[in-house]
Amino acid sequence: MREKVKPEEKAEANEIAQACSTCFEVPIGPIHPALKEGIRFTFWIEGERIRKVDIRPGFMHRGIEFMGTKRNLIQVLYLAERICGICSISHPLAIVQAVEQAAGIEVPPRAQYIRVIIGELERIHSHLLWAGVAAHELGFDTLLHYVWKVREPVLDILEDLTGNRINYAIPIYGGVRRDVPPEKYPVLKDALRYYRSLVDDFVNFFLRDPSIEARTRGVGVLTPAEADSLCAVGPTARASGLRKDVRQDWPYFAYPDLEVKAITPEDMGLEVRGDVYDRIVVRLLEVVQSIEIIERCLEEMPDGEITAFPKVAALLAHLKKAEGEGIGRHEAPRGEVIHYIRLQAGEEAPVVWKVKAPTYSNLMPWYPMFRDQEIADIPIVAASIDPCICCMERVQIVRDGRAETMWREELLRLSWDKTRRIVGGLGASHVAREGI
Amino acid sequence: MSGVNALWQAILVLVGGGAVGFLYKGLDRKLAARLQGRIGPPLRQPVLDVIKLLLKENVVPRTAIPWLFRAAPFLAFVAATTALLYLPVGSLRPVLSGYGDLVLLLYLLAVPALAMAMGGFASGSPYAVVGAQREIVMMMSYEFPLAIAAVGIAWRLASLGLSPAFSLATIAANPLWGAVGPLGWMGLLFLFVSLLAVTPAELSKIPFDIPEAETEIAGGLLVEYSGVSLALFYLADVIKTVVIAALVVALFIPYGIAAPLGVAGVGGQVLDLLFFLVKLFGVIFFAVTVVRVAFARLKVDQVARFYLLPTTLLALAGLLLLVLDKVVMGG
Amino acid sequence: MIFKALFLQLFTRPVTNRFPAKYMPKSVLGFLEKVGEGKAKLVPPVPVTEGFRGKIAYDREKCIGCQMCIRVCPARVIEFKPEEKKIRMYVARCTYCAQCVDVCPVGALSRSQEFLLADYDRFSPNLVVE
Repeated sequence: MREKVKPEEKAEANEIAQACSTCFEVPIGPIHPALKEGIRFTFWIEGERIRKVDIRPGFMHRGIEFMGTKRNLIQVLYLAERICGICSISHPLAIVQAVEQAAGIEVPPRAQYIRVIIGELERIHSHLLWAGVAAHELGFDTLLHYVWKVREPVLDILEDLTGNRINYAIPIYGGVRRDVPPEKYPVLKDALRYYRSLVDDFVNFFLRDPSIEARTRGVGVLTPAEADSLCAVGPTARASGLRKDVRQDWPYFAYPDLEVKAITPEDMGLEVRGDVYDRIVVRLLEVVQSIEIIERCLEEMPDGEITAFPKVAALLAHLKKAEGEGIGRHEAPRGEVIHYIRLQAGEEAPVVWKVKAPTYSNLMPWYPMFRDQEIADIPIVAASIDPCICCMERVQIVRDGRAETMWREELLRLSWDKTRRIVGGLGASHVAREGI
Repeated sequence: MSGVNALWQAILVLVGGGAVGFLYKGLDRKLAARLQGRIGPPLRQPVLDVIKLLLKENVVPRTAIPWLFRAAPFLAFVAATTALLYLPVGSLRPVLSGYGDLVLLLYLLAVPALAMAMGGFASGSPYAVVGAQREIVMMMSYEFPLAIAAVGIAWRLASLGLSPAFSLATIAANPLWGAVGPLGWMGLLFLFVSLLAVTPAELSKIPFDIPEAETEIAGGLLVEYSGVSLALFYLADVIKTVVIAALVVALFIPYGIAAPLGVAGVGGQVLDLLFFLVKLFGVIFFAVTVVRVAFARLKVDQVARFYLLPTTLLALAGLLLLVLDKVVMGG
Repeated sequence: MIFKALFLQLFTRPVTNRFPAKYMPKSVLGFLEKVGEGKAKLVPPVPVTEGFRGKIAYDREKCIGCQMCIRVCPARVIEFKPEEKKIRMYVARCTYCAQCVDVCPVGALSRSQEFLLADYDRFSPNLVVE
C-alpha cells in the first residue's frame, strides 16, 4: 500500500534533512523481532543515537466497533473480550459497566467482588507476561523462561475459576456467569501465597541484577510533566510519579470498599525517575498489591446472588427495551480502558460503541521516551509501556486503495463537523450510522 | 615431518575439530536450555541446522556488493579452520608448529570477526551496517586485553630462557603456574580472568552479542545472509568456539593427566586427548554457556567501557605483577 | 543475581510439558498413527479442570428447537435445521464461551472436557455436531 505524499509530509521530510544531515534512516516494523504487533517506527539515527522518530500505527485495524453494531449485546460482550488477548477481562468489565449504566441494571455485591478477583488475577498474569517480554527484549531469555514458568499457576487458577486460561467469559450484564464457591478459596489462597514467596526472587532477578539495571536506569525517561500533559495512563504514568489510577480516582465494582491506592516507585522508597527501571518497579509492586486486594476480597466477600438476571432470555428482553448511553471505565493492567455505548429501545444491537484502549493514551509518551536514546534501547523503550497495538487501532483511512495520513487540522475539522451534525437536530444514532 | 604425513594430520585435526565443535555446540544449547528450565533441542540439532542451511537458496540482496557479500563467509570459515591447525591438542604438537605462532593465531581469530563486519557493510541493510559498526567497536575494545594476556605469557616464558617463546608448542609444554612465585601466580590469575572475560565477546555471545542482537537489529550482520553463506558463518562460529577454548587451555591450563598417572605411549596420548576435551568443555561451559544465560545484553558503549576499563586494567595489573615477579625471582 | 536459580534448574526436571512427545516427531500424523497402533507412547496433555469449557456436547433428544442458542452465539457457530427443528454446530468456528449452554432452557447443550480438536478439514465429522 503506497501512501500519498501530502505537502505537510514533504515539509517535514525537508525539515529532518536540514536538521540532521549525517542521520540515516532505520525503519523498525511493522514486522520486527522487537515488536509483538505491527506498528511502524522510523528512526533517524546519528551513530547510535536517535535524533528523531516517527510512529505510524494503522496496520492492525480490525473494525471491531463496526462489527459490534451488527450484533446483539450478548454477542458484543464476547467480541469485546477478543479486543485484547492479554487483558481479556478488562474490555468486558468496561463494557458491562457501560451497558449497566445505559440500561439501569443493579449488580449484586457478590458479583462485584468476583469481578474484582478475576480482574486482579488478570493483572498478575499480565504483569508477569510483560516482565518476561521485557527480559526478552533485553536479551535475557533466562528470565523470560523463568517468569513465564511462574506465570502458569495463575493461569491454572483462572482456568479453575472460569473454565479457560485466557478469554474467561465470566462477566455478563448484571453480574457474573460463574460463582467462586468457598471450596475454591483454599486453592486460590495457596496460589497467592506462592506468589508472595516469589516476590523476593523477582526483586533479586529484576531490580538487583547489574545487567538489567545497566540497561534500564535512565533509559526512556518520561518526566511527570510530560506524562501529565500527554495523558499517559496506567503503570506508565505511575512510574513517572503520577498517582493516577481509576480504581482510586473513580472507584467502581467493589473497589470503594477496598481502598486501592495508586502505586509509584516512592512506595518502595525510591526516587521517581520515570525511566524503564521505574516501570519494572511499579509493575512488581502492583503484583503485590493485586495479591493483597484478592486476599481482602476473599475475606470480605458477601454471600448472595451473582447476577441480576438468572435467565439470559430475560436479560435479552430487558436490553432490547433499554435506551440511553453509558460509559464504562476500568483500570486494565496497561491503564485506563474506556467503553462508550449508546442503546436505543427496540434495537438489539448498540447504535454506537466506542472503545479506547490504554495503549492509545500511551502512544504519545513514546516520543519523549525515545528522545536521544540509543538504537539498543528501542526494543525495551517500546515494550516499556506494554503496548497492545491491536486493541488500540481504532481507525484506518483508506482512499482509492491507499492508506492516508490525517493531519491535526483535518481531524479537528472532522470532529467539529460531527459535533455540528449531532447538535444540529439530527438524532445521535443517525449520525453514528452515517459514520464520520 | 613429511608432507604427506602433515596432510593426513591436518585432515584429521580439521574433521576432528569440526566434530568436537558440533558436539560442544549441541551441548551448549542443551545445557543452556536446562539452565533455563527447558528441555532444549537434541544434541544433533546443530548438524541438522547446517544441513538445512546448505540445502537452502543463497539469496544476495539487490543492494549488496555481491562479490564481497559472498566472499566474507568463506574468509571467516577459512580463517577459523586454519586456526585449528595451530593448536596443540592434548600432548600432541600443533600440526603447523614452526610455520606460525601465537601472534598469527591472534590475527587468525580476528579475521572471522572482520569478515563478518565486511559482509555486514557489503549487504547494504541498515541493520547490518549498525551491526558491523558495533562489531568493529567491540573488536577494538577487547583485542587489547587479549593481546596483553598473550604477550604477558610469552614474555615471562622468554624471561625464563625458553624459546621460541611465542610458539604455542612451547607455551603448552611449559605451564607457567609452577615456574613463577606468588606474585606471578596472582598475575597469571588476573590474565586468566581477563582472557575468560574476552571469550564471550570473541564469540559474540550474550551479554556481548551486540553485533547480532536479535531483538534490536534483527540479527544485525547476519540479517541478509541465507543458505550456504549463513551455513559457513555458522561453521566458522562452531570452530571458533573450539579454537578460543583451546587457546585458553593452551595458555593457562596445559596440564595433561597421562604423565602424573604414569601412562605412557599411545594410551597416554589418548588419555591426554580426552582430558583436553574435558578442559575445553569446562572453558566453554563456564565462560560461554553460563554467562550467556545469566546476563542481559549490554549496549555498545557499556561493552566498550567494560573492556577498555576493568578488563584492560586487570590484564595490565596481571602483566605488572608478572614483571614484579621476575624482579623478585631474579629469573 | 540469578546463578543459584540457574544451577537449581540445571539439576531439576525441565518444566516443559512433553506433549505429545519429548522431541517433535518427524511427522505428527505418522506419530499419532503409531500411537493408535500401540507402537509409540503419547505423553498426555496437562489435564483440564472440572469446569473447563471445551467442545459443546449436544443432546439431540432434549432439543426443542427454540433457537435461543443461535441468538446468543457470538461466532455464529449454530445453524438451524427447520425441517427437523434441530440444530447443527460447526465447532471450527466456536469460541468456547459456553453462552449457549447458559441460555438453553431445556439443558440440551453442555460443556465437555474435550479440547484436542485440531484437524485438516473444518467439516470433518469430529468438528460438526448435530
